[in-house]
Amino acid sequence: MKDRGSTEPARAAFSPERFLRRYGTLVGFILIVIFFWTQRPGTFMTIPNWVNITRQMSILGVVAFTMTIVMVTGDFDLSIGALASLVGIVAGTTFQNDGAVGTAVALSLLVGAAGGLLNGVLVAYIGISAFVATLGTLTVFRGLALYISGGASIYGRVIPAEFSSFGRGAIPLGKIGATDLALPNLTILAILALIFVFIILNYTIVGRRLYAIGGNMEAARFGGIRINRLRLLSFVISGLGAAVAGLMLFSRLSTAHPTQGEGLMLQAIAAVFLGMTLSEESQPNVGGTLIGVLILGVLANGLTQMQIDTYIQQISTGAIIILAVTLSSLSGQQRHYGRWLRRALRRLPREGD
Amino acid sequence: MRKFSLLLVILLLAVAGVGFAQDAPTVAVMTPFLAQPGTQIMVENFEASAMEKGWSVNVIDTNEDIAALVSRMEDVALQGVDAIVINVDPTQIEPGLHAAADAGIPVFGLDSGAHPLLVTNVTSNGYTMAAETATYVVDRLSGAGNVIMFIFEPYPPVQKRGAIARAIFENTPDITIADAITPSFDNGPLEGARNAMEAVLLAHPDAGSISAVWAAWDDPALGALQAIEDAGRADEGIVIVGIDATEQARDAILRGSNFEATVAQDFAGMAQKVADLVESHLGGADITQVNHYVPAKLVTQADLSE
Repeated sequence: MKDRGSTEPARAAFSPERFLRRYGTLVGFILIVIFFWTQRPGTFMTIPNWVNITRQMSILGVVAFTMTIVMVTGDFDLSIGALASLVGIVAGTTFQNDGAVGTAVALSLLVGAAGGLLNGVLVAYIGISAFVATLGTLTVFRGLALYISGGASIYGRVIPAEFSSFGRGAIPLGKIGATDLALPNLTILAILALIFVFIILNYTIVGRRLYAIGGNMEAARFGGIRINRLRLLSFVISGLGAAVAGLMLFSRLSTAHPTQGEGLMLQAIAAVFLGMTLSEESQPNVGGTLIGVLILGVLANGLTQMQIDTYIQQISTGAIIILAVTLSSLSGQQRHYGRWLRRALRRLPREGD
Repeated sequence: MRKFSLLLVILLLAVAGVGFAQDAPTVAVMTPFLAQPGTQIMVENFEASAMEKGWSVNVIDTNEDIAALVSRMEDVALQGVDAIVINVDPTQIEPGLHAAADAGIPVFGLDSGAHPLLVTNVTSNGYTMAAETATYVVDRLSGAGNVIMFIFEPYPPVQKRGAIARAIFENTPDITIADAITPSFDNGPLEGARNAMEAVLLAHPDAGSISAVWAAWDDPALGALQAIEDAGRADEGIVIVGIDATEQARDAILRGSNFEATVAQDFAGMAQKVADLVESHLGGADITQVNHYVPAKLVTQADLSE
């Protein structure tokens, strides 16, 4: 990742120490992959399994990538999981009322954007801390999803076949040896989201300004950046990401349940944090988030293949996240983490925006 | 950072110690509901049966996350376990069922519901559970009296229970169904039935004018019990029965109230049954029966105080 909004002195010449500090999480990821490869040689490092992992992680990927934009400015969006569930219910209810797939998708994206807009207005214009505001909207979205659905799942014949087949479909890419290679539709959506966020953060003025806001909001304000508008925009993108993820989840399962997206939020934040260890300044960056998502996905897949108890899986996944972040702070990045956290905490009570 | 790599290797090696490949058949048990008591009993008993058979069991719980369950199912399908046992509504995890089918892995339902992609499903028979409590009422009343029914038509498994009980009461000439009530759920599971029962008691003020309350599940039975006790009519000999044997229902039965009987599903028996079916399927037997019903047991005070 490139240096952005940083006041750090110019880097010294290449040193192995520095390389490991910077890319330790990536090295860890590669070690994890090699480890599973040696443990499950016949099933882990195979094309079908990696296609499987990308499909499984695609939904988390979309929310984690768009969440990265929010976290670049130093905010959080806790409402994405509940919003993804709500979007699924909105689409399912549209189908129940004989709506077409196009109508359902359009309505869903509208609901996602509206949810993000609400978060953005609360945080950027009313000045409530992102933590409190999105915790509030999380509860509202969850309540709405339960209210609209009456607490029940939407599934069965009301869901158009073209909608549910999308989530299970793939584009064939030909053969490698005896294996058919096909790129799942869900993976393609995640790649598109990744490219979209990567371009915004790295190749646009908006991206540079978002990093400037995250670096020092006061300085950014004096620099003439329209802070409120950009923070609002970041929440709207996050809301849209949640909507896309909610539709992907609905299509993959052919079932919309009023709480089915709620696991996404904490995992997305964990992925962004893992990715922050891959940046010199411990800033959220979408390339790092991708590695974070892959670490979570590979761990879940590999540990399941090794028949590790699911509770031990949760413990080891949590331990690896803590390990990665701790060691990257111990090795000299704590200043940056401290700064990021202090900024986030300072915004907790109320903003003087 | 070298420390990180070292620690990671140690952690992974520790994990590796647990995960060495075995030659014995491996069965994955997959559920999002391991926190629920019924599921726990089933999983524990399945593990016990599997141990006797010398299998290796991989229990996977996704903490109410259905999407994660589908992902883990795809993983075990690729890993190539010998069989999968699920405790979840199969219609909600179809991509996982397809992944298993593509890999040629048989999937068995454990109290999950029937599905074309399952080899078979082991569960309780809702019809016989209702018949157990309805005949208990007929016997206790010596075939004569006024019965109040609490039913719920919108939910198919509960609707079945009501249909059977009604058939049994209607087939008994001197029993009259005085009312069949669908309780409201607006204020929790007990309140609706309790309010309805209070109204019924006011409409039938004479002692002995109501002989029994048959409820399609335990909650309305408990609500009716509260109404009867609070109206001071607990000594009229009104017989109350429910289904499911919840903790609260067992307590009410044990203390000798009007709530006399309920039906307990045999979760342990279901787990043993599914293990036997997995064994015979792996042994090459062809299983055509869609649902295997394990008998549920009528529970009265005599059973609980044993």
